[in-house]
Amino acid sequence: MNTLTDRYVWAAARNVPEVQRAEFANELRERIGDESDALIASGHSPADAEVAALTDLGDPAALAAHYVDRPLHLIGPRYFLTWWRLLKLLLVVVLPIATAAVLLAQLLSGDAVGQAIGESIATGISIAVHLGFWTTLVFAIIERSPSTVKVEIWTPEQLPQVPDAGRSHWLSDLIASAVFLVFFAGAIIWQQFFSVYADDAGQPIPLLDPELWSFWLPYFLVLIALELLFAIAVYTWGWNWWLVGANVVLNVAFAVPALWLFLTGRLFNEDYLDAAGWPWAEAGGIIATIIAVMFVVIPTWDVAEGIIKTVRGRGATRVTAAV
Amino acid sequence: MNTDETTAGHLQELRRGTVVLACLVRLRTPDYGYALLESLNELGITVDANTLYPLLRRLEKQGLLTSEWNTDDARPRKFYRTSATGEQLAGALTTDWRRLDDALTRLTTGDER
Repeated sequence: MNTLTDRYVWAAARNVPEVQRAEFANELRERIGDESDALIASGHSPADAEVAALTDLGDPAALAAHYVDRPLHLIGPRYFLTWWRLLKLLLVVVLPIATAAVLLAQLLSGDAVGQAIGESIATGISIAVHLGFWTTLVFAIIERSPSTVKVEIWTPEQLPQVPDAGRSHWLSDLIASAVFLVFFAGAIIWQQFFSVYADDAGQPIPLLDPELWSFWLPYFLVLIALELLFAIAVYTWGWNWWLVGANVVLNVAFAVPALWLFLTGRLFNEDYLDAAGWPWAEAGGIIATIIAVMFVVIPTWDVAEGIIKTVRGRGATRVTAAV
Repeated sequence: MNTDETTAGHLQELRRGTVVLACLVRLRTPDYGYALLESLNELGITVDANTLYPLLRRLEKQGLLTSEWNTDDARPRKFYRTSATGEQLAGALTTDWRRLDDALTRLTTGDER
């Protein structure tokens, strides 16, 4: 029958690399023996002494890790920050793009909107789990590999900008943009299923032409997702000329197709217009003109606002520097 | 965290390096783990077995100690002895220890200039 010491030594030694195992087991036997002897000398019975000595040693796996300098953490201080920065970057950049791409692919392949959204959310969660797992696995292996991998050296250029008074303003901008964009995307999807008018079969008549789902409405939904990323970029870095450029591109990408679809009569659903009794006499022309002008004015204003904020931001930086 | 814990933590940090130095000096005459533990504690250099045994292993791996199994007794024991490199390190550590002691003495008596 194996003694408690045998069992303890075996349990500890299996956590040690094989080449060191025999030596380690002998060292441990010596230590347990000497510590038990000391307890016996101070009046314990041999059985009590063995139990007390082993209890004192604690968990064999922890003891072995301590002996061979193996880390008892998944990712230690040396790699933690690199791991954390990379994981945040992946979750912020890869996750939304991949999820949006899945959504677009689902919509283009003609799936129902609700199903496409459901599936892209499920895929998004799965992508997030994969990103977290594989990144952590790689770092856990690096942590345990004997050769030291060069960690990115920190330099002063990596210092973030000090948040100034304008910064809190950026946050409210971000929240406003996010709420508006989510509402807008929701409205595009909502109008497909709910309408003030119903056809003879009692089905709702969508406001927008349902044929647009083959390409243009998914396109606009992806643009909305990109606008959301853009709003986050503005919040993160503040306005600069690169973001002004991106803002121009996004606005043109939105306004030009929307205006073109509207002017060629493909934006709104004919059935809906009929049900609403369009055109409403002389008012019709005026309303159409107002809508067309809005497609031009709103993006122009958005671009101008970005430029104004960038110029002001530059001014504020100069003032701060002068002080 | 209470004061006792804070004190214990700082004392542990202060002693950490001194245990290495004490081992290197004490093991000029070869000895095994438990005997070393006893003799250091008798001298007033308090060290825990959970610290000392892994430390001996690490010092051996760094070539500061050499070891030999003694099988004369019923229980085989690993005897450690300070190596030549270990001796050099002990010298360097002792010099630094003296320097720190002098500096602290000057600091507390107030004639640091």
